[in-house]
Amino acid sequence: MPRSDFWSGLAVAAFGALALLWMIPNYAGSNPFAQMPPELVPSIAAWIMVVCGTIVAIKGAVIMIRNRMGPLTRDLNWPGIGWALWPFAYVGAAIWVMSFVKLTWFGPVLIGGMLLLLGERRWWMILGCSVVPVALLYLLSVYLMRVGVV
Amino acid sequence: MDFSAVGAAASEAFTLASFIGIGGGVLLGYIVGVIPGLSRSVAISIAIPLTFYMSPFIAISFLIGLSKGTAAGSAVSAILLNAPGEASSAATALDGYPMAKKGKPKTALQVGLLASVIGDILATIILIFVAIPFARVALLFGPYEMAAILAFALVFIAGLSGGSIFKGLAAGGLGIFLGTVGLDNQTGLPRLTFGYTELMDGMPLIAVAIGTLALSEMFVQSEKLRYDRAGMSVELKNDRSDHITWPLFRSIIPTVLRGTGVGTFVGALPGLGPSVGSFMSYGMTVKASKDPESFGKGNPKGIAASESADNAVIPAALIPLFGLGIPGNVSAALLIGAFAIHGITVGPLLLRDNPELLYSIFAGMILASLIMLALGWFGLMIFAQITKVPPHVVIPIVIFFCLAGMMLQGYGTFGLVILIAFAALGYLMKKYDYSFVTFLVAFIITPMLELNLRQSIILSRGNWEILLNRPIALFFIVCTLVALVALAVRTFKTGKPVANAPAD
Amino acid sequence: MNRRTLIATAAAIGATMAAPAFAQDWPTRPLTMVIGFAPGGSTDIQGRVLANVMEEFLGQPVNVVNQPGGGSAVAFTRLKNTAADGYTFLFGGTTALTFTPIITPVEYEIDDFEYLAAVALGQNAIVTSAEQPFETFDEIIAHGKENQMTYAQQTPLDEAIIRAIAEEEGLDLAIVPTGGGGGMAPLVLGREVDFAYSGGTHAQYTPTGEMVVAAFMSAERSPFYPDTPTLMELGYDYSIEDYRTVIVPQGVPDEVKARLMEAAEYASESQAFKDITEGNTFFPVVYIGQEEMEASVRRIRAATEEVMGSN
Repeated sequence: MPRSDFWSGLAVAAFGALALLWMIPNYAGSNPFAQMPPELVPSIAAWIMVVCGTIVAIKGAVIMIRNRMGPLTRDLNWPGIGWALWPFAYVGAAIWVMSFVKLTWFGPVLIGGMLLLLGERRWWMILGCSVVPVALLYLLSVYLMRVGVV
Repeated sequence: MDFSAVGAAASEAFTLASFIGIGGGVLLGYIVGVIPGLSRSVAISIAIPLTFYMSPFIAISFLIGLSKGTAAGSAVSAILLNAPGEASSAATALDGYPMAKKGKPKTALQVGLLASVIGDILATIILIFVAIPFARVALLFGPYEMAAILAFALVFIAGLSGGSIFKGLAAGGLGIFLGTVGLDNQTGLPRLTFGYTELMDGMPLIAVAIGTLALSEMFVQSEKLRYDRAGMSVELKNDRSDHITWPLFRSIIPTVLRGTGVGTFVGALPGLGPSVGSFMSYGMTVKASKDPESFGKGNPKGIAASESADNAVIPAALIPLFGLGIPGNVSAALLIGAFAIHGITVGPLLLRDNPELLYSIFAGMILASLIMLALGWFGLMIFAQITKVPPHVVIPIVIFFCLAGMMLQGYGTFGLVILIAFAALGYLMKKYDYSFVTFLVAFIITPMLELNLRQSIILSRGNWEILLNRPIALFFIVCTLVALVALAVRTFKTGKPVANAPAD
Repeated sequence: MNRRTLIATAAAIGATMAAPAFAQDWPTRPLTMVIGFAPGGSTDIQGRVLANVMEEFLGQPVNVVNQPGGGSAVAFTRLKNTAADGYTFLFGGTTALTFTPIITPVEYEIDDFEYLAAVALGQNAIVTSAEQPFETFDEIIAHGKENQMTYAQQTPLDEAIIRAIAEEEGLDLAIVPTGGGGGMAPLVLGREVDFAYSGGTHAQYTPTGEMVVAAFMSAERSPFYPDTPTLMELGYDYSIEDYRTVIVPQGVPDEVKARLMEAAEYASESQAFKDITEGNTFFPVVYIGQEEMEASVRRIRAATEEVMGSN
C-alpha cells in the first residue's frame, strides 16, 4: 500500500510540524527555571512524528516511483467511501442531538435508526434491541448510581 | 497469623449473605466488563452507593469482586468482538480475536477465563502473605526506579508494534504528544489545552480508550458489513473439538505463571496500572517463545499472558493499599473511598485494629475468584451468545453503550466530541496499519514517566552519581538500553514484526 | 434564542408560577449535587454522605454527579451555566475561586455564585516522615540551614509559600511536583523528600505514627492535632484557607436558598456526617452561614493574590 503509506506518513509529519511550529510555541507554556520545561516532552513527541512520518512517506514515494504509480488513484470507490463515512456522520449527528435530549429518551432512536440503516427490518427486533439496553442503563444509572445527567 | 481471627473470619466469609453479595459483585463486574464502553472505574462508582447498606466486610468484598469481574469479563468482548471492554484487555484481543475467527471461540474464552482465575488466585495468595510484612519494599521504588521502569515499559511495548516500525513510532509519538495535554504538574499552568477548561486534567483517558478500542472497531465492522455480511459473525458451532484440552492447559501454565509474576510486580508498584501489566506480560511471552511468528494469529499463549497479568494486577494493587495505605491504581483509590464510607481507614492499622475484617476480606477475595470461575465457566455459553447475535445488531448497541459510558463520566457533549474524534483516529490507524496499541500505551505511560523523570532530576540536583546507589534503577536503565538497541537492530534488518495488531 | 436563554426563561416562568406557597413544598423533584473531583477523594466522600443527609431533610433524592477537571474549574464553569433554580448546586472547596483564576484564565468569577454555607474546614498541612531526624517545623528549618532539603508540592500556591519561606530563611531547597496526595505519600514515607504538603492525606498516616504533621498552613490549629502550630503562629505571614461549601449560581430565589441552608445546617449537626467527615477524613465539621462565607471567599482571594504576586 505505497499510496496510503505516502499520504498517511505525510499527514503524520504535517501534524508533527504543525505541533512544532504553532501548537507548542503558543500553547505549551514555558518555565525557564525548570530542568524539564513543559515544552520538552511535547517537542520530542512532535519530532518523532515529523521524522517517522517523513520516513514512511519517503518509503511509500520510492515504491510508487519504482512501480510508476501516480500519487492519486483515478478510480476512487465513492460508494465505498460513503459507506465508511456514514456511521461517523450518524454518530456525529447523534452527539449533536444529545446536547438537547437526554440519552434516556434519545437512546432508542439512536439504536433503532442505525438498525434500520444497517438493514434490519423486523419491527420486534428493532423495538427490543433499542429499548432493552436503554432501559438497562436507565435502571443502572438512575436507581443504582443515582446520576441525574443521563 | 492470628488463628482465632482467621477462624472467625472464615465463618463470616462463608455465609449466605456474603455469598450473594460477592457473587452479585462478580456478576455485575462481569457484565460491565463484557460491555465495551462501560469501564471498571464507572462500575465501581456505580456500585459505591449500593454498598451504603451492606456490612463493611460484604461491601468491600463486593467491590473487590466487582473489579475482578470486570477484568475477566472484558476478555469476552476482546475475544469475540475485537472490542476490549477495558484498555488492559487490548492485548487479549491481539490473539483472542484471530483465534475466535479460526473457529475456536470457546477454547479462547476458556483459556482466557482459566488464566484470569489462576492469575487472580495466585496474586491474592501473594497479597495475603506478603501484603503486611513486605509492603514497605514498594518504598524502595522511588522516582528514579519508577522512571526507569516506565521508560523500559514504553520502549519494550513500542518494540511490540506490528507492521512498519516507523509507523509504530509515529503512533507512539502521537500518544506521547496527547499524553502531555493538561495542567503542567509543576507550574500548574495549562499546557496544550487550547483554552478548554475540560482539558485541564488531560485528554480524558476513558474517551481515548473507548474511542480507539471499542467505538472505532464498531466503525470498522460496520464498513465490513457492506462487503462480507455472511463471514462477519464468529459462529459458535457445535464443534466438539472446540474446548480446552489438558495438553493445551499444560502448555499455557508457564505463560500464566510468568503473567502472574509480571502482573503482581506491576500491581504492587503504586501508579502503574493493569494495561502496563498485560502488555509487559504479552511482550515477555512473545520474546520467550520459540516461534514468535505465531503470535497475533491466534496463539492461546497470547491470551493467557495478557489475561493472567491483567487479573493479577487487581489483588496486587491492594498490597500497597493494605500495607501502606497507598492505592496501587485508580480502582484501588476508589476502594479507599468505599472504606471511608464504612468508617475504616485502610492501611497497616487495619491489621492491628481490625484483623478479623482484614482476614474476612481475604477470604472474600478467594471466594470471589472461585465464584468467578464457576460463573465464567457455566456462563461461558450464555455470554458467548453475543456471537450468535448478528453484527448489524451488535454494532448499534455497542455504539450506544460507548456514548452512554462517556456520558456517565460527566464530561458532557465535550467528552462525546473527543470520543468520536478518537474513534476516527482509531479507525484510520487500524485502516492504515499504525499500531493503536503503541499509541494507547504511550498515552497512558507518558504523564507518569514525565512526572517521575522530573522528580528524579530535581531530587538528584542533576547529579548522575546518585544512580550508583540505586541498583534497581540502574538495572532497568540497562534493560531500557538493551530494548532500545534491539529496536534499532530490528529497524535496520528487514525482519518480520513480532506481533501484529489484527488490523483486518 | 439560544438554548441557555430558553432554559432560563422556562425556569423563570416556572418560578413565577410556583411562587405562592413555596417555602415548605420545595423541592418537588430530585436535586443534583455537583462534585468537581473524581469519585473516591475526600470531597467526594463527604459530598456523598452530605447528599444522603440532605435527602433526609428535603424529602427528595439528591443525586451526585462527578464533574472532574482542573481542580473543580470545569464544574464551576458548568454550574455558572445551569438554571438558577437551586435544583443544581455544587459541593466542594473554594480554592477553584480563590486561587485558580489567579494563575489560569477561567470563564467564571467569584460574583457568579452564592456561597450558602460551609460545612467543613479544609486541611492544609506540612508533613514529614517520623523516621526523619526532625519533627517540628522549626527543626526542619534548622536542619535546612545546615543541609540541602527537598520539598514535595501539590499546588503552585503551597509551592509559592514554601519558596518564600525558604528565601527568608536562606534554605537550599529543591521543590518537586507530585501527582496529588496519593503521589506524595510514597515520597515522604520512602524518605525521598524531606517534607511535603498534604491536603488531608496525612489523616491516614499520622495515626500509625508513620507521618508527623510539622505545621498547619491553615489559619487555625486543627482540633485533631491540637499541639501542632500554624505557620502564622510560627511567625510566617502565610495561610491557605479552604472551606467545603454548598454553592449555587447567582440568582436563586431566596426561599430556595433558605431551604438549602437549612438542609446544610441540619447536615452539619447530623451524626452520620460528623462521623465520616471528622472520624475518617479528619476535616472539622462547622456551620458557617452565607454572610460570613461571602466575605471570606473575597478576603482569601485578595490575600492569595498578594502571595502569588510577590513571587
